[in-house]
Amino acid sequence: MNVDVQDRLGAALACFLKAYEARPELVAEQRGWSPIIALAASDAQARVVVSLDDGRIARVAAAGGPPTLEITGGLDTLCDVLTLRRDPNEPYLFGELVVVGAEADFVRLDYIASRLCPR
Amino acid sequence: MPALTKNAAPGPITLVATGCGTAIACVCALGLGEIERRLGGLWSVLAVLGAALLCAALARALARLTTVVPSGAGLMAFLSRGLGRRWGLLLMLPYVALVIALVAVEARIVGAVSARLLSVPPALGAVAFLVWTWAVARSGVRFSLRAQAVATAVLVIGFVLLAIAGVIGAAGRPDFFAHLLPPRPSALALLGGIGQALFLFMGFELVTNQVELVRAPGVIGSALSRSVQLLTVFYAVVALGFSTIAHAPQAGLAADGDWLTPQLGLGAAAVSPLAAAAIGILCIVASFTSFNGALLTLSRLVYALASQGLLPRRLARMDSKRMVPPDALAALLAASLALTFLLSSRALINAVLAGSAAAAGLVWAAAVAVRERPPFVEPGRPRRHLVAALALSSLFVVFGAGALVEGFTSPAPPVLAEVTHAH
Repeated sequence: MNVDVQDRLGAALACFLKAYEARPELVAEQRGWSPIIALAASDAQARVVVSLDDGRIARVAAAGGPPTLEITGGLDTLCDVLTLRRDPNEPYLFGELVVVGAEADFVRLDYIASRLCPR
Repeated sequence: MPALTKNAAPGPITLVATGCGTAIACVCALGLGEIERRLGGLWSVLAVLGAALLCAALARALARLTTVVPSGAGLMAFLSRGLGRRWGLLLMLPYVALVIALVAVEARIVGAVSARLLSVPPALGAVAFLVWTWAVARSGVRFSLRAQAVATAVLVIGFVLLAIAGVIGAAGRPDFFAHLLPPRPSALALLGGIGQALFLFMGFELVTNQVELVRAPGVIGSALSRSVQLLTVFYAVVALGFSTIAHAPQAGLAADGDWLTPQLGLGAAAVSPLAAAAIGILCIVASFTSFNGALLTLSRLVYALASQGLLPRRLARMDSKRMVPPDALAALLAASLALTFLLSSRALINAVLAGSAAAAGLVWAAAVAVRERPPFVEPGRPRRHLVAALALSSLFVVFGAGALVEGFTSPAPPVLAEVTHAH
């Protein structure tokens, strides 16, 4: 695994999680939601896994058990979304972000990202 | 922890039923009825087979697109990746707009069916159907794929049995073979008929949207092909059944000439109030599951477009509890209601069916062409595949245009009731 790209993805995820934790009302809205979300770059050797427990961040790692939701996209696209520079809807709609998992989980994650993403 | 496993994913049968279920709606009976009136008997079956051949080739192309870009955004994602975002949007917008118009036609049909079964004004039945389905979608309820598969299976089996019974019942009549093989239609009418038959398959491709749940794009490819096969058999049998309506002397359809609901003139439904009620209820259930799915899917699209500023930002609001975009759903309900009242004539409704066939033909032509472009084309793929894809794309465009010409310029043939009187 390329350490640079892995660090870049990890840093972008940390940015997203920091913004999420800074919104307690948003965290409270996600009570009862406990997914394992994997983010993988399609054009680089980088992957991070974040687990949520009852809406709160429980664990961040480079690997983990079978994810509830797996999101794949170009490294730049993933980093742009995680650093809140891009709304995830846009790359998803145009096929640059691919999701595997239940629609309900993706809709919820999309909602969180949209709430955090300044318009 | 509900980890995603193979067991959570829908099975092959459910996927095939999903592909068929999104294609089969009440408005398809109307489309098939129009083809029957213009071509008749085995010529209608030939039109269905022509459209099926094109769709079978499309299914192979879509399988490849799903393998390379396994996105739940489906056609929008494929076309955007292959042709660029602007072209993707331009090609998809007429298709999406016509889906909303088709919902309105579907509501009119439900209104006609409920008027027949419950003696309520058709407008009341149509509005009640739209508002109730919207209310269910607004509450965040989404029917499972399995429930939709069961509804589709019951509908398909019910219609096929009615159609077969209709054919068997008409077989003893002296003019049976004359109706089964009417005079040869003109080449333009046949071309238009095949174009109109494309409309019957519209929606089968949306099974690609399930790739997010399935995880294995190969399963989607198989479901696409099998959906086309099942739809072909279904429409061919029902087309044959429809050819018997025209000369069933006691057909209920002949009594009121209600061209919006040809399915109520099929076989036993025409003579037995109980069978008519059963098929009517099946129709309403099919319309409900179709509209529920369309509303939820379209509302997500409206929400996504609004969040990018392509539609009013207000439509990008999400209900944090139910995870549905309420303003987008309300806008879709308003558009459906308005169109239900605007599409008040047979000519306008036929124009919607023809336009839908043409829009689907255009989008499918683009999908077939995109399959031979990066990122979908395999390195070193022989050039003959590109030539074949361009030929297939051209056929989709030509048949789609034929449907438009046939839908807009040909005088409307008599309704089935009038055919009955003529005989």
